[in-house]
Amino acid sequence: MREELDKTRHYNYDVEYIVLGEFEYILLTVTAGLGDQAYGAAIRESIVKTAGRNCSIGALYTTIERLETKGLLTTWMGEATPQRGGRAKRMVRVTPEGAQAARDFYETMLRVSRNAAWASCEPESTL
Amino acid sequence: MSRAALFVIETSARILRANERDGVLGDLAEVGAGPLRSFCAIFGLLARQHAEHWRDWRPWLAGGVALPASLLLLGVSFGISMNSRALLEGDSAHIGFPFLFEVLLLVTWSWTSGFLIGSLSGHTLWVSALLSSIPCLSCVFRFREPSLSRICVLLFLIPGLLGVLHGRRLRHVPFTAALIIAATVTGLMLAWNEMHLCEWPLVLPAWFLVAAADKFRNRREELPSC
Repeated sequence: MREELDKTRHYNYDVEYIVLGEFEYILLTVTAGLGDQAYGAAIRESIVKTAGRNCSIGALYTTIERLETKGLLTTWMGEATPQRGGRAKRMVRVTPEGAQAARDFYETMLRVSRNAAWASCEPESTL
Repeated sequence: MSRAALFVIETSARILRANERDGVLGDLAEVGAGPLRSFCAIFGLLARQHAEHWRDWRPWLAGGVALPASLLLLGVSFGISMNSRALLEGDSAHIGFPFLFEVLLLVTWSWTSGFLIGSLSGHTLWVSALLSSIPCLSCVFRFREPSLSRICVLLFLIPGLLGVLHGRRLRHVPFTAALIIAATVTGLMLAWNEMHLCEWPLVLPAWFLVAAADKFRNRREELPSC
């Protein structure tokens, strides 16, 4: 565990501001939204439903791994269910650093979108 | 899913790590994925995992060093073999630079290049190995010097492979040791008047190790202890 912490801190040691990609942000947000029920298949289903985009298992797991290396997510093996053929779930949780990175991304998007016509709720604004 | 399909899927999933395998196969079972979809998902994940390594600059540098360093070291190995043959025949007139220094340079160049490749390649070491084996195999099979064994062009391989092993295990050379190695190599190269200009890039791995050791030293000083 300590080694993991060192690895994470080592990775981000000179990073003041962790920049997320769009898919990384979606994954963090969906994971946070699912709470204790966040695991591979549930995250995938939620991304397809809420973001309306296809999400392959490869894209999902490589992004989870990348975010875990950056210290933005933690994963552990959960319970096995008969529905999954007796296989354990890979549970995912957003770390405080992950929540901060997602908040930063969200605020940046809000700031840069402030003057964009499509971001305004005013009735007179048109594209 | 039929037993045969299940067997193929389970076998191909063995390439994945144990915890990852359970997560992926469980997810596929949960959504009721068919054999083809499962197969594509597993190999798609593997392909993406490998591609992920290439997001970093390190494997690119390792691969970029492996190919030219092998080419240059093949030439140096051949030159040393020719000189050693001349020395054995008692003809030392053609050997300008002390022979032992040439050997020392070959060993150091090979080791530092190998160390750099080993420390930077990570999971992409096989690509670096493939890149350096292309000129080696090509040279060995096209070798046409009857008085010398084909293997003489591969003299750099042993120190190079040792460097790769050390690089993978240690990752960094202590700063003082790296500086001594780089200074010695540069000094010997400056003293070797007949050295080809194209061999000068072989000094770069040694100085890269100095820079990496310096950066690692500074990083350790900056990190607060746990």
